[in-house]
Amino acid sequence: MSAVHHFCESNGAGEVETQDIANLNFGSNDSANLNTITYPITRGNASFEKYICCLFTGTWTEISNMKFWKSLGDYVTGEACKAAANVAYATPSATPNADSDIPVIVGSALSLQSAEGASTITFGSGVSGYTKYVRLQLRTTGSTPAGSVNTKTYTFQFDEV
Amino acid sequence: MNSIINHNLGGGNNPMKPLAFTWIAIFEDGTKIEQFNSEGIENRFQLVKDKFDKLVFFNLTNKEGKLFIVNLREGLIGYNDLVMSYRKSEEEKGNIRLIFFRNHKVEITENCIEKSHIINYHLGFQYNNKLGNNRQIVLIIDEEGNWYLEG
Repeated sequence: MSAVHHFCESNGAGEVETQDIANLNFGSNDSANLNTITYPITRGNASFEKYICCLFTGTWTEISNMKFWKSLGDYVTGEACKAAANVAYATPSATPNADSDIPVIVGSALSLQSAEGASTITFGSGVSGYTKYVRLQLRTTGSTPAGSVNTKTYTFQFDEV
Repeated sequence: MNSIINHNLGGGNNPMKPLAFTWIAIFEDGTKIEQFNSEGIENRFQLVKDKFDKLVFFNLTNKEGKLFIVNLREGLIGYNDLVMSYRKSEEEKGNIRLIFFRNHKVEITENCIEKSHIINYHLGFQYNNKLGNNRQIVLIIDEEGNWYLEG
């Protein structure tokens, strides 16, 4: 029934993709579906970067106007989520990168392109149905309180026909 | 600290959400293409795009019998038996072209892949008035069939 979206995460030096990821946990390990109990982020450090994309399958002709932003979830002290859109894959790192704060309203949302670099994904030969990557990284500082941070809601919006 | 930004996308993060409204395209020779054929196979909208110049009516309908009709010859939008009145409805229109897409807003959070998935249908047309200016008349229709005129 129309387009079907699959959230995917890529990890490792070899860009190993996991489709239909089970969670988006940030942690101290470069892996999809990671367990935060096993891989907590030590206060003052950053998480490993996450490279997330979306794959569209199903029956569709065009996907356009793809936007991504953090729509809910307050930060605790010293916490921040950084993001960049349409980035090339690189082996995820826990070193703080130069990305900006993730947008929190649709008006300033990240605009996503197709993997082929177009603003509209048009179904057809040579079109993968993938978006480019969104790179996410969670930051903490020495003042970040111990324990769990608040849960977040992200919104992915797109037009489809 | 322990980050629990745990967007549980489990259970398949891509449920095939049923569409509330499906389309029917009717062409000048009386032929039609339905979004789902008699075998339930979905047709791509591309089939309609390929014959845009011959498209006369484009309808959206749901199981409750709500029906939105775009008349691409006269530049009119109908809802069930009502022909909508809107600003510039009497304006001379040329080069009338269909506008149709579904806007998806997917919220993902920790306990489920989709906290919500809202689909709004954008349906209408654009045209050039006698001065050559491009105008758009677009309805935004929610999944229950509530609608408003954009802009």
